[in-house]
Amino acid sequence: MAGHVTFIHGIANKPAAEDLLEIWRHALGEGGSEALRLGTQGVSSSLVYWADVLYAAPDPDVAAHEGVDERTPGAVDGGGEPPLPTPVSAESRAFIESLRARLTDLPDEMLDQEPSADPAAKGLERVPLPWFIKKRIMAAFLRDVHHYLFNVESRPRPNEVYLVQDEIRRRFVARLKATEGGRPHVVVSHSMGTVIAYDCLKRVADCPQIDALVTIGSPLGIDEIQDKLQPEWTRDDGFPREKIAGGWVNVFDRLDVVCGLDPKLANDYERGAKELIDDIEVTNDGAWRHSATKYYRQPTVRGALRRLLGL
Amino acid sequence: MADEDPRVEFRREAEELLARLRGLPDDDTVKAGQDFVKVARSAREFATLSKVAEAVSRQAPKDSTTRRYYAQALIETGHATVAVDVLRPLLKDKNESAEAYGLIGRAYKQIFFDAGDKTSPAARDALKQAIAAYRVPFEASPVRHYWHGVNLTAVVTAARRIGLRVALDLDPSALAKKVITALKKTPPKDRNPWYHASVAEANLALRNWPEVEAHLRRYVRGKGIDAFALGGTLRQFTEVWNLDADPERGRPLVDILRARTMSLPGATLDLSPAEVRRLATAQPPSGQPEAVLGVDGPRTYKWMQIGMTRGQAVGAVRRKSTGGRHGTCFLVKASLLGLENDQLVVLTNHHVVNQDGTGLGIRPSAAEVEFEALANAPRLDVAAVVWSSPQENLDASILRLGSPPVNIDPLAPTAYLPVLGETQQVYIIGYPGGDELAISFQDNQLIDHEGPPSGAPTVPGRVRLHYRTPTKEGSSGSPVFNEDWEVVGLHHFGGKLGVEKLNGKPGIYAANEGIWIQSIVKAPK
Repeated sequence: MAGHVTFIHGIANKPAAEDLLEIWRHALGEGGSEALRLGTQGVSSSLVYWADVLYAAPDPDVAAHEGVDERTPGAVDGGGEPPLPTPVSAESRAFIESLRARLTDLPDEMLDQEPSADPAAKGLERVPLPWFIKKRIMAAFLRDVHHYLFNVESRPRPNEVYLVQDEIRRRFVARLKATEGGRPHVVVSHSMGTVIAYDCLKRVADCPQIDALVTIGSPLGIDEIQDKLQPEWTRDDGFPREKIAGGWVNVFDRLDVVCGLDPKLANDYERGAKELIDDIEVTNDGAWRHSATKYYRQPTVRGALRRLLGL
Repeated sequence: MADEDPRVEFRREAEELLARLRGLPDDDTVKAGQDFVKVARSAREFATLSKVAEAVSRQAPKDSTTRRYYAQALIETGHATVAVDVLRPLLKDKNESAEAYGLIGRAYKQIFFDAGDKTSPAARDALKQAIAAYRVPFEASPVRHYWHGVNLTAVVTAARRIGLRVALDLDPSALAKKVITALKKTPPKDRNPWYHASVAEANLALRNWPEVEAHLRRYVRGKGIDAFALGGTLRQFTEVWNLDADPERGRPLVDILRARTMSLPGATLDLSPAEVRRLATAQPPSGQPEAVLGVDGPRTYKWMQIGMTRGQAVGAVRRKSTGGRHGTCFLVKASLLGLENDQLVVLTNHHVVNQDGTGLGIRPSAAEVEFEALANAPRLDVAAVVWSSPQENLDASILRLGSPPVNIDPLAPTAYLPVLGETQQVYIIGYPGGDELAISFQDNQLIDHEGPPSGAPTVPGRVRLHYRTPTKEGSSGSPVFNEDWEVVGLHHFGGKLGVEKLNGKPGIYAANEGIWIQSIVKAPK
């Protein structure tokens, strides 16, 4: 066997697991240059799916998640009608307000303004999408990240209750343990999926070891998020040395609102005060640069994954 | 499950129904038979359809609908003239007559398709009959029977092209415009892929290329448009519309459709060696692949061209005595097969060429190899069998040629097997036996293999692959490629129905079998 890739998705509602996995495999393997057909090259793949922990039902609009159109919230990581998070403590309130302030300075009542061309304006304000969509992206980001890091209770459907962080950690660890694929085993994470992957690899004792980590469009550079990953996270020794046998590649687009706040991770997750993470910049197209499939179509991403898989 | 063959189940159901129909069937059984015939048609199981339709006809001789389906099955299984005889009585049934005329037209069109010499009296007569048949329903109701109108336009165009003086009152351009006008009356919600195919084809008569391409694009992406449907369209475009003869837009359009067809599951494309050579480097007009296939168009086209290039390293093994084809082989560097030197060798099955000419194999001295897709391909002697493994083991022979071929890039084996549990296609390029001049590109779905991580080979060191195509079997000695055009196996045989499943799974199914290339590479030499 040639290896295994475990994917993990990010914020907002998603289609059913098998549909999302198929879209992601397709995005790596079709179109553009340096196509990487994982299955054809003998690399098995699976997905850590957690959208159902926070959202009532999978998004039936599967095509929206291919990252080609940008006309609906579902197509731009804003689907599922997430509400803004309700704080559960003073610390949680401060976290939400502080994180929101990273995205925009505008109060709620002013959120219907046109996109700003002012380079000093906050990232979300400059994204050329209508505000009814941006509001949903903001809600998905704030709510999903908050509920994970504060291990909030979620009741997505009648008679189902989860503590969000506990449940998602359990799924991540179980999925890694269940992998029958060969080595190398690479985890490819996007958006909030990068926070989950890091949290489990650094802070969950029985998380299995992997050979390499890829983080894409990651908010791990944001101070507020790093604060919540303490005490295990420190700037000098944040690299999960026991659980990542090989490398960590981080891919970002400066106009990706979710990671653009602090896109490079090498100097925030060092190992023995040494920078080990390979930060790679790409330029996606369109208005919404955070889209997973856009990243997967980048030749540099495909090339990096090939290298980590030894192909 | 990929390894369950739905056709086996289907045929079992048919046998049970036939037993009841042939006994003392009641009305419900006859109705079940009539319904089954419809299902068989959708599934394209025409041999089974014929059997059940025959049994139903004996119980319900006045059932014209079943007779019509029976006639279609007869056309599909090569019995066009019989089909016409079955259809003629249906022309009196007002519920069936339009469809019957259409099928008569189709039967005669098929006879024309199949004719070796399209200008022979038999071919010309068939075209004349096709025109007469399609004309009746179209002139009776152009809106309802637009499909007959499209076919009528096509066959009248073909007739004019070969100088056939028949139906001189019909002008292809006028017909095409009438068809397009009729088609425009289709409500938007009814504009299915076949609607778009009809508009595209009607516009061919007018040489309105932008319209042809725009509607083909919607057709090609339509639900249910599979390799079979596209293959039919390709035949219509080449054999009736003769688009290959138009080098500026017609032939590139056909090339683009070929590329798309090749990438669909179950496709078989038979091309002449000259076509393979031409397609490897032919460039369509800029923008045409996107116009016809959308954003993926250029990539699909390029992928096809890589396949054509690989095809040039695939050779026919011929019997020196007769010049007839005996099997297929392909060019590889010896070192990549686990031998110690870097020369170019060919790999084929033991049952194609072996040292002593045992079994079906011929001796090296009786064999020659021709890489037919190369320009001016020389016939190369087979100098020696460098290594072999018998048919019951790896069924492989590595041959040294008398003189090394030049100007061919050898094929490259890959170390990895495609993953099971996802849809993975494998492709076989080979030379069918007999008199066919074509090189065949065949698309199979990978069903199972004995390789890692979960495989259980029954013979140590021999990993077998099973793959399935709905059409024909591959040629012995063909390379088996993954979706990236890397060699994963050596084709070994095709089994219609009685192949035992792999990995200890119970039962049998229809499958083609190949040997993993790494089993050959790693075998002791």
